[in-house]
Amino acid sequence: MALPLKYNFRNVVVRWRSSMTTVLGIGAVVAVVIVLRAMARGIEASSGNTGDPRNVLVVRKGSQAESGSLVTREHFRTVQYLDEVARNENGEAVASAEVIVMVTAPRRGGGGEANTLLRGITPRGIELRPQVRLVDGRWFDPGHREVVVSRRLGRRFEGFEVGGTLRAGPTVLSIVGHFDAGGSAFDSEVWLDADEARSIFDREQYSSILVRPRDEAALQSLVNRVENDKQLTLRAEREVDYYAKQTATALPIKIVASLLGGAMSLGAVFAAMNTMYASVASRTREIGTLRVLGFSRRAVVASFLIEGGILAGIGGAVGCLLALPMNGYSAGTLDFQTFAETLFEFRVTPDLMAAGIAFAVSIGVVGSLLPALRAARLPVISALKSL
Amino acid sequence: MNILTFIAKNALRNRRRVILTVSSVAVSCGVLVTLQTLQRELTIPPESEAASLRVIARNKVSIAQPLPARQLGVIERIPGIVAVSPFTYFGGLYAEEKATGFAQFGVDPERFRGIMVEGRVVQGAYDDWVADRNSCMVGADTLDRYKLRVGDHMRFTGTFYPMDLDLRIAAVFQGTVDDRGVFFHHKLLDDAMDNGGAVGTWYMRVESAAVAPQVIAAIDRAFENSSAEVRAETERAFQMSFMSMLGDVKSLTLSVSSVVVFTLMLVTVSTMSMAIRERFRELAVLKALGFRRHELFSFILAESFGLAGAGAVLGIFGTWIFWSTVNLQKLTAGFLVYFEVTPRIMAMAGIVAAVLGIVSAMGPALAVARMSVVDGLKTID
Repeated sequence: MALPLKYNFRNVVVRWRSSMTTVLGIGAVVAVVIVLRAMARGIEASSGNTGDPRNVLVVRKGSQAESGSLVTREHFRTVQYLDEVARNENGEAVASAEVIVMVTAPRRGGGGEANTLLRGITPRGIELRPQVRLVDGRWFDPGHREVVVSRRLGRRFEGFEVGGTLRAGPTVLSIVGHFDAGGSAFDSEVWLDADEARSIFDREQYSSILVRPRDEAALQSLVNRVENDKQLTLRAEREVDYYAKQTATALPIKIVASLLGGAMSLGAVFAAMNTMYASVASRTREIGTLRVLGFSRRAVVASFLIEGGILAGIGGAVGCLLALPMNGYSAGTLDFQTFAETLFEFRVTPDLMAAGIAFAVSIGVVGSLLPALRAARLPVISALKSL
Repeated sequence: MNILTFIAKNALRNRRRVILTVSSVAVSCGVLVTLQTLQRELTIPPESEAASLRVIARNKVSIAQPLPARQLGVIERIPGIVAVSPFTYFGGLYAEEKATGFAQFGVDPERFRGIMVEGRVVQGAYDDWVADRNSCMVGADTLDRYKLRVGDHMRFTGTFYPMDLDLRIAAVFQGTVDDRGVFFHHKLLDDAMDNGGAVGTWYMRVESAAVAPQVIAAIDRAFENSSAEVRAETERAFQMSFMSMLGDVKSLTLSVSSVVVFTLMLVTVSTMSMAIRERFRELAVLKALGFRRHELFSFILAESFGLAGAGAVLGIFGTWIFWSTVNLQKLTAGFLVYFEVTPRIMAMAGIVAAVLGIVSAMGPALAVARMSVVDGLKTID
């Protein structure tokens, strides 16, 4: 027969002082792990929800990121006139040749400088990215030194409000609008006219081409054709796949999260063991009584494991509560592929919290294993005699 | 039996608890040291004397925007500059690697001789590198890591440049703060790109640290209002600005560190109060025997301090030994290189542990001081 759960709950409550230190200790560990994983999750999410599955991104073979890619005008002409590319009502190819330029700009509030990506884009390119909506001001006029920046970026960089300016070397660009890219990678970008960008930054070549194939079959055929054409030295990939792979920045954070989680949980296991040993020691007589009443050794072990699990589970819940305010917190870090600042939001998702609680419970169970075995091994008679 | 053995005996009488407490303090101290080291690695570049004499000039737009090669003539004439070379980041992938943990730079070997003065050639010959444009000079760390020898070839796939490199190792250098880089002839880039000579940055050495500010101002002024404006800064400032781009990482490690300190505190405080509560009756006996409050307080303090101290010593030195033996560079594919646990960081963690030892003695000591002998004698465990 198993001991009632109520017994464990009440024990946790009665010994509230030592329970509380364990709960808070485990809570802190869980909170740290959840926050770090929420950060990695946020970085992955911003590149994971970027792009349209119907689009194909073409970059130079061998380049790791769009910013390090070079596409010649001849290449653009070839790709643009491929049969697979869709045409709009005017018969124009739905393709956009774009230029990526990195510009260093001051952060708001004297936080030093950071790099930001400027994307020289065409009207087709804007149509190809329905995720991006203008939320303030207007789009840039081709032929003018005007840019539209992401609203999130506008909050991080000095002078990035509508009506403000962006200095790129000797060139001053006026900011005429803000866009919102729905938390995608475009939210870390500044957009301007492609030809304007090429003339300001003296770029003969483009960085990438974004195209919309006629349909799914055409998409496959386009990817294969570009891949197999030795003349082109280009690589074509579904836009969403390209961005989904740009997660190198999240990897070190994940490594740190698991290392830190591992080390801190070791400390937490020791702390939990301490509490549970003390709990067993102070209940020696009680345990003897339980045994005399007919509860088996196994029931006693199970009961202590459950108690440790409950204790740590409460700690896990506290950890989730501590981590929850970080949800949606917007931060920026250096993207290791583009070398520009990438913006993301911490994402404390239900599955992360569930994993955090499970992690806490396992700390509790592991920590109570030895104390529980000790409790079960107490000889009944001497246990009853003990003070 | 003197007082010290009394304290030690008391501290060790529940051996299991001592082991658990010391280990959890040790683990927390280890985590704290590791975090602080990580933060240092990410925010403070390694310092070297020679670096304070070096200046890097980049395009004002950003580091990714090239500079025209014709600027060389102007820069050379600026007084105070001893040597100047183009310095272009290639960003290639070595052999079949998906991520390469060391950088490759295109430089002018003859000019570069006067810039990287602290490094010395330990294998091969510098002149051999100068003479053969398809050769390179490699840092000793990279040579060892890939088990290469002078005369071997290194192949790189260009990620920023639409070209690949196949370089023969002509010389090996050692003695700089970062012995990982690969340096090759800038001419290879000029020929392949056919862009009339564009360079990534200008890398130069100035006469003395005193003239550096004037030189920097002169360079900036020389290209003001030209199509390629320049931003010059010392090598150290350049690295610092690069590190600052990591953004919110610094505040994050800081907050995680404080959470670790908080947990550390919880553990020691709860252990100490457990240990004292068990012994309330004995302490009452001691009081009855005529021991003063401050004496009892010092017993408790010494015990708690000893436990925290033992954990700290174990954790701090254990971590120090761990990070000095582990080849982190290999483990993280070059993301973390030095990960040097400095005496300063170790001292900081030691102080945290010491303060903890004192703070966690406070609660129990106060309780003991307040208790009346009669109540204390009445307590049962």
